[in-house]
Amino acid sequence: MEDLTPVSLFEDSTSNSSTPPLSPMALGVRRFRKHRMAMFGFALLVLLVLYISFASIFSRGYCAPIKQDLTGEAWANCNDTSLKLQPPSADHIFGTDVIGRDIFARTIYGGQISLLIGISAAIVEVVLGALIGVLAAYYGGWVDSLLMRFTEAMLTIPSLFLLIIGARFFGGSFPDINLFGRELTGGVIVIILIIGATSWMYLARIVRANVLSLRERDYVSAARALGSSDRRIILAHLLPNTTAPLIVSATLGVANAILSEAYVSFLGLGVQGATATWGNMLDGAYQYLETAPWLWFFPGTFILLTVLGINFLGDGLRDALDPYSTKHL
Amino acid sequence: MKRNLNILLSLFVLASMVLAACGGAAATEPAAATEPAAPAATDAPAPVVTEPPAPTFSGTVTITFVQEPDNLNPMYTDMYFSSILREFYLKPAWSFDEKATPIPVLVTEIPSVDNGGISADGKTITLKLRDDVTWSDGEPLTADDFVFTYNMIVSEKNVPLSRYPYEDYVTSVEAPDATTVVVTFSEPFAAWLTRLFAWVLPAHILQPVFDAEGTLDTAEWNRNPTVGVGPFVLSEWETGSHLAFQANPTWILPPKIEQVFVRIVPDDAAQEAAIIAGDTDFGVFLSSDQIEKLEAGGDVKVVALASGYNEAWFLNVNPETAHPAMLDVNVRKAIALATDRFTIVKDLLVEDINPVNVNFWDTTPPFNNADLQPYPYDPEQAKALLDAAGWVDSNGDGTRDKDGVELKLRYITNQRELRTNVQAVVQQQWSQVGIGAELVNYSSDVFWNGYNDGGPQAQGLYDIAEYSSVPGGFPDGDSSGWACNDIASADNPDGANWQGYCNPTMDELFAKQATTLDPAARLDIFMEIQQVMYDDVIYVGIWKDPDLWSINSRVENVKLSGVQPFWNAHEWTVK
Amino acid sequence: MSTYILRRLAQAIPQLFIISIILFALMQAFGDPIATLGGRTPPRPEDKERLRRQLGLDQPVYMQYITWLVGNDWQKIDMDGDGTPETPGKRLGIMRGDWGNSLVTRQSVLKMIGDRLPNTLLLMLTAEVIIIIISLALGLYSALRPYSLFDNLVTGLSFVGYSMPVFWLALMLMYIFAVNFRRWGLPYLPTVGMFDPAVGKTPAELIKHMILPLTTLAVISIAGYSRFVRSSVMEVLGQDYVRTARAKGLRANYVVFRHALPNAALPFITIIGLDIPFLMAGAVVTERIFAWPGMGRLFIDHTERADFPVLMGILMLISIAVVVFQIITDVIYSLVDPRIRLS
Repeated sequence: MEDLTPVSLFEDSTSNSSTPPLSPMALGVRRFRKHRMAMFGFALLVLLVLYISFASIFSRGYCAPIKQDLTGEAWANCNDTSLKLQPPSADHIFGTDVIGRDIFARTIYGGQISLLIGISAAIVEVVLGALIGVLAAYYGGWVDSLLMRFTEAMLTIPSLFLLIIGARFFGGSFPDINLFGRELTGGVIVIILIIGATSWMYLARIVRANVLSLRERDYVSAARALGSSDRRIILAHLLPNTTAPLIVSATLGVANAILSEAYVSFLGLGVQGATATWGNMLDGAYQYLETAPWLWFFPGTFILLTVLGINFLGDGLRDALDPYSTKHL
Repeated sequence: MKRNLNILLSLFVLASMVLAACGGAAATEPAAATEPAAPAATDAPAPVVTEPPAPTFSGTVTITFVQEPDNLNPMYTDMYFSSILREFYLKPAWSFDEKATPIPVLVTEIPSVDNGGISADGKTITLKLRDDVTWSDGEPLTADDFVFTYNMIVSEKNVPLSRYPYEDYVTSVEAPDATTVVVTFSEPFAAWLTRLFAWVLPAHILQPVFDAEGTLDTAEWNRNPTVGVGPFVLSEWETGSHLAFQANPTWILPPKIEQVFVRIVPDDAAQEAAIIAGDTDFGVFLSSDQIEKLEAGGDVKVVALASGYNEAWFLNVNPETAHPAMLDVNVRKAIALATDRFTIVKDLLVEDINPVNVNFWDTTPPFNNADLQPYPYDPEQAKALLDAAGWVDSNGDGTRDKDGVELKLRYITNQRELRTNVQAVVQQQWSQVGIGAELVNYSSDVFWNGYNDGGPQAQGLYDIAEYSSVPGGFPDGDSSGWACNDIASADNPDGANWQGYCNPTMDELFAKQATTLDPAARLDIFMEIQQVMYDDVIYVGIWKDPDLWSINSRVENVKLSGVQPFWNAHEWTVK
Repeated sequence: MSTYILRRLAQAIPQLFIISIILFALMQAFGDPIATLGGRTPPRPEDKERLRRQLGLDQPVYMQYITWLVGNDWQKIDMDGDGTPETPGKRLGIMRGDWGNSLVTRQSVLKMIGDRLPNTLLLMLTAEVIIIIISLALGLYSALRPYSLFDNLVTGLSFVGYSMPVFWLALMLMYIFAVNFRRWGLPYLPTVGMFDPAVGKTPAELIKHMILPLTTLAVISIAGYSRFVRSSVMEVLGQDYVRTARAKGLRANYVVFRHALPNAALPFITIIGLDIPFLMAGAVVTERIFAWPGMGRLFIDHTERADFPVLMGILMLISIAVVVFQIITDVIYSLVDPRIRLS
């Protein structure tokens, strides 16, 4: 008698009917764990998060100009111009910057802000983009026209222009906020908003294109025929099947936001003044490319590792969660 | 294996085909934009007078500008990068050499009371022109050109950038004969040497344009002055890219080099790379921390040009907008004493080039008051002054306060990195004496906005503003911006007094200096002005800010002047 | 189809109007162009007031917009400040083809754009072609050989390239290939500009000067796009119809080029289609660093000077191009994917 137990279509399932087929989630986790690059990326990010969270224990020193021992963020802000532009040494393991601040300490506190900006901006981008894309594609008609015209309007205006306008309009409107014990300038919120608000349009278009294709699929017609509400169709069928581009965009979005922060700092619109971010540290190192490489090497490497880690992670997630992808043709 | 090779091969074939086609397209595209190089000026017929054989030129000198000139008609622009080009193509009546001494160019001598050029009452100045100067197309330069220039500036049909001083002080400009220009003033104008006839327009070219178009505002000549008077003539201007000037043999002092090529390179670091690589002969507007790099890496020498600029703090003393502490002169004094400008200059700049300065006219000799010394660095004295003024730290938060108001001052500047660094250093220094700082950075255009556009300085939204500035009449000391009736406010949005400073003595002194012609007496007035400013502590000098230029060793005989760098371009030679 | 296109074009016109109004309104945030006219010293108040009046900047914003749109030659304006308008206006407005004059250079906006556009197109189109070809090649090959050494290498390098800020990469390249190569006696590239004045503007000079900016632009874009092509292709390769095609015994080549690539190319087309109009906007940072006289430089230079006519001109040009290219992209999309119905 033939064994008629349903066999899962997934590669990894066994034909032994006594073990239940794995759920997509469990399958996803398993595939993720096998994806070496993704695990590497994940590990990298964990290390980085640990770094910016706890390495501040090591951020301490004697600040000569004010004749005090300092720790933590106060030490990161201590400037001693007589120690400017020193290569890495025992006292300052990453060297000192143009006015004698400790670069090691600044990469810690700067990293906190850079990551905060990156993640927040990506969240803003994904929420806006997915929402607009799905609504436009699903409802079609005048909703689609309106939303797409709005998207187009936002797209036609060069992002540089929007960034400058955004910085002008919002600059100074946000008060300083207190987050995790740090006093952050309102400028940080401005950057998050303007980076998020200038990058959702691509995602909206891609999501819309995907959903346009999906809308005509059989299971959607079936669901509609069965009487599922619009909301259910969107949330349970359409959105989950567009996760591939959403995930790719979200991860690229965080990485992109971190890089945008550096770009925005180069243009002079970034977080100003004494508050460090990896982006504005890199911008400050611009004139010293050859003469003081430690100025750009450390923040640059951190940006690189973070973006690398995020991208590997996103790659792994995409491969793991896409039910149709296979390893070989 | 094979199929992958196939894929790769087909892609590469495709790629090379497209690239080849594209390369061909790229090659043909610029053909339209290429202009024939202006021929060396051998067109002018040899003059009849016995002269040495027509001069020969050789060599090209390259200069990098970080900003592109917006207009080559000086009527419509005050941009540094436009005005310094004039010594190539539109010479002034007199130039200023590297020591800021006036040298006659279009005139035979500098007018003075002794030679009759200036009348006894100081209200008439007579210029005697050379009779052998011609425009680059051969037309002689006469007094009519001067009269035409004056008429164009004051004409209602034109929109020049500024009519000063012609509108305010000049009553007429006349040409009794071809080589004499008579300028009459309503009252003696002391700054005439630097403000009068720094450039002359060619009447024979522009009068017809004015008659035809009704205005000079959109004249072709403004962007393409192919007829000028000077050692070079503009031969090509490709916007965004470069300007090229060819040697002009009809100039009274023909140049030795053939071409000056001005390339626009907006990025500082790229300019640095170009200087080191030798892709440019002159580098402009460098900063002190680049000197070492450039002289080590490239074959260049860096020179500092006294341009009249000083970096300083301008303190807000407007009772309506400033922090209450700023209204007390002792607090202002304490602020100056609490700041170690000497260490800043020593560590962040080059002390020889940028020493600490005292007053606004420090780099505009002889107008500077050399008796005054910079406010010293004395934190103990600063603390004593603040205690005596009632500012003590009553709540233990590290910052002094009085009547419930914290001594936290708003310290603003633009976004240049050097300035944000200075802000951070100063903030730390002030924390030692209990002064708190709120550091704000604005982009340059916002920083300079007027009252109605939300400009932070104009609206008084600051306590200390830092920037680099120069007396308006440099190399003359003539300046303004401290008059009582000039305070910017809602009723007077164009007021230029952004510090809200009102001192009747100061107003009197400034009014007097504008009309005192006797140099010694005028200088005395300036000495007094600076003493008043020093005592009132409304200006705290930080460093002298000369312009830094780099010169490649292949160009010789260069004498750069702080007033007009290219005044001796006709003497340059190239190895 | 043609009704769709016509309808989209008809929709485009009010859309462009709205965009122009939004842009004009947003530009008021830029501050006073007069303040920057003075160069190192701001102009005197009397002059500022006079300039403002003569350049039409003292009018209320909506009047300035209307003048920009339809001109003012049917009006008289008060040029000499005595309160009574006496001079007839000279502007025709953009609807009649007059894009205005720059507040900074007083030149015609169209002329200024026309001077810079060829330079930008030369650089950006060349870059775009290189980027498309190499991205497709790399992405495709990586997708066909996922997780192989080649794939991992390309992925790694892509990530590194993609993680670098443009300005840093540009300067790094300049230092290595222009400054240091010359120092070390190797054949070197020029640092800045479009050509060497001593040699003149020859195609060889242009190509030599284009190499570094092209590399800067290409590296970062290829890194991003090849990843995108890779993930697109991989997703398509997992589809049922591809499995079916393979199961039917079709050669891999055929499957890839006839089935997978066209379908994977769809999202790629979307992105490229969106990018092309922005080629005209130039690459601000790259052009700035390499002193390439293009549209990006024009834009950023005049942004700093708050020069409305030039900025509006550039932005409207880009807007028109974007609208046109979006219609084109949608049409191509519907032609390639028969499942999409353009309603």
